[in-house]
Amino acid sequence: MGLYIKLAWRNIWRNKRRSMVVITSIGMGVFLMIITMALVNGMNYQMIDNTISTSLGHISIHRKGFIENIKPSFSFTPPAGIHERITGVDRVAGAAPRIKIQGMIRSSEASQGVVVTGIDPEREKSVSNLESYMSGSEGEGYPDNSDGDWIIISAQTAEKLDLVPGDRLVIMFQDASDQIVAEAFYLRGLFVSPVDTFDKFTVFTGIRKLQSVASMGNAISEISIRTETRDDSIDVCSLISGYVHGDDIETLTWQQMAPSIMSAIRLYDAMMLIFFGIIFITVIFSVANTMIMAIMERFHEIGVMKCIGTRPLYIFIMITAESVNLGLAGMVSGLAASLSVTGILFYTGMDLSVFSESMRIWGTGSIIYPLVMLKDIISSMGIVLLTAIISSLYPALKAARIKPMEALNFI
Amino acid sequence: MKRKNGTAVIEAKGIYRTYNTDGLAVHALNGLDLVITSGEFTAIAGPSGSGKTTMLNIIGGIDRPCSGSITVAGKDLNAMNSRDLAELRLHKIGFIFQAYNLIPVLTAIENVEYILLLQGVGKTERRTKAAAILREVGLEKEMNRRPGDMSGGQQQRVAVARAMVSEPALILADEPTANLDQKTGSALLDLMKDLNRASGTTFLFSTHDSMVMKRADRLISLRDGKITSGRR
Repeated sequence: MGLYIKLAWRNIWRNKRRSMVVITSIGMGVFLMIITMALVNGMNYQMIDNTISTSLGHISIHRKGFIENIKPSFSFTPPAGIHERITGVDRVAGAAPRIKIQGMIRSSEASQGVVVTGIDPEREKSVSNLESYMSGSEGEGYPDNSDGDWIIISAQTAEKLDLVPGDRLVIMFQDASDQIVAEAFYLRGLFVSPVDTFDKFTVFTGIRKLQSVASMGNAISEISIRTETRDDSIDVCSLISGYVHGDDIETLTWQQMAPSIMSAIRLYDAMMLIFFGIIFITVIFSVANTMIMAIMERFHEIGVMKCIGTRPLYIFIMITAESVNLGLAGMVSGLAASLSVTGILFYTGMDLSVFSESMRIWGTGSIIYPLVMLKDIISSMGIVLLTAIISSLYPALKAARIKPMEALNFI
Repeated sequence: MKRKNGTAVIEAKGIYRTYNTDGLAVHALNGLDLVITSGEFTAIAGPSGSGKTTMLNIIGGIDRPCSGSITVAGKDLNAMNSRDLAELRLHKIGFIFQAYNLIPVLTAIENVEYILLLQGVGKTERRTKAAAILREVGLEKEMNRRPGDMSGGQQQRVAVARAMVSEPALILADEPTANLDQKTGSALLDLMKDLNRASGTTFLFSTHDSMVMKRADRLISLRDGKITSGRR
């Protein structure tokens, strides 16, 4: 078998230019596949991470129906010591209480529907990136109390409402007894997040202030929890799911809270499969065409090999090995190129700010950091080998069936 | 190892072979009868189109006769399928072609080893045998050269070594000196003759070179697919 592998390897270099074209085309296929997968992985990762870091958290404890009805009536009073219990669990990075109420923000110029989010600024730091989203903005900066009459809105909303830090504005919403209340706040600062919808529809104030204005007592809407990694969320969720008692309390992971993100990822995966299918059908025909040309050129030689006693199976193996060698060479070059490029982009990021509006709508941020996963490399290697074998089947069969008599008379 | 002479290696009786070329029947062999015994060094002579190559192809199991019986090394070729014929060619027959027909990407020693590989001979034994036969044909220094880097005469010596290495009962050579100059052709013929004498392997080759005809132990003349004369 060793001699056949050697024979196959040497045969592909008989026509260097042609083999290089095929190897380059396979390499380009692998390169495109790995780069595309890495960028999509990076986009998915950043989309999930940004969604988690802005509003979702890894885990949320709340009343059933709260996600669909963001009202004070869907609140609960957390048991004493719950924060310490949750943060004491292994792999929990932080936890923070929140109140969320749908309302209306009004300035002297305009109004807009928003979700008013009451936060404990100190604990919020451990679950969201709000503090970093405010860095560099005008105003008094990240708040240090939860009972003041401050409010934080996005720069986008401020522009729409023609507000600057220090201005006063009014927020209207329904309180715990379904009465409409209005309260004046002063604009403490602005934030800019990578997620467009978050910027458009979220404003922050202190949790105690909101509890007071909404007549909620000590009730909160949710406890948002951040785990050390997103993959820890399912395990941690099962550990803490009984910490807040009540039939109508549920503890959900980010996957359960945002099924649309999971659907988007599945859609990406399906699109990638179609894309790879197109690339590799092209490669199959390219390799098959090359192998057929190689066989036609060596028709006489293969006939001689059969004449001196080479079995058809060995001819089949030799041609398949040639195709696999082409595939392996293309795979190695494609992997080397793609890993080099993704390695550089992993540190520098790919600046897609020219599409920043679209990127913000997807919540990915305008700089994408590609992410290569081992499973992607293994699957691309598998696809290339399979492609090489499939594309060699017809030429190999054709070569194995060459009749020595016809081949000897072939010039 | 020298073979025992005298037993029939080839027995052909009433061989007919007709080809259809553009609807025209060409009778390549017309009732050919032939017996070649072990250890013979026989030349088949005749003009182009006389049926020399067709005869060698049928004896080598590459082509089949339209009618007639043919036995090679005790095997009835008409009763064998293509797989059996391939096995017969591998184990009992060595081939030398006019255009050498070596595998261009393999070195001289790898080309010779190739036959032994097909026979399932182990790597060490393969290498030893191939090196020994290449030394015997005078190519000790060219063992690791590829055919493209060798002269025609050297390539044909590799082809002889390849045909001889598995110690077949019969070696068929189709105009082995046709692509060589007079001196090289003569040297090759000496080599083949020496191997024939030393090993007792039967040689049957086609030619229309008078020098080759003179050196053959037996000469068979072929014309229009029939043997017209023969001398020993």
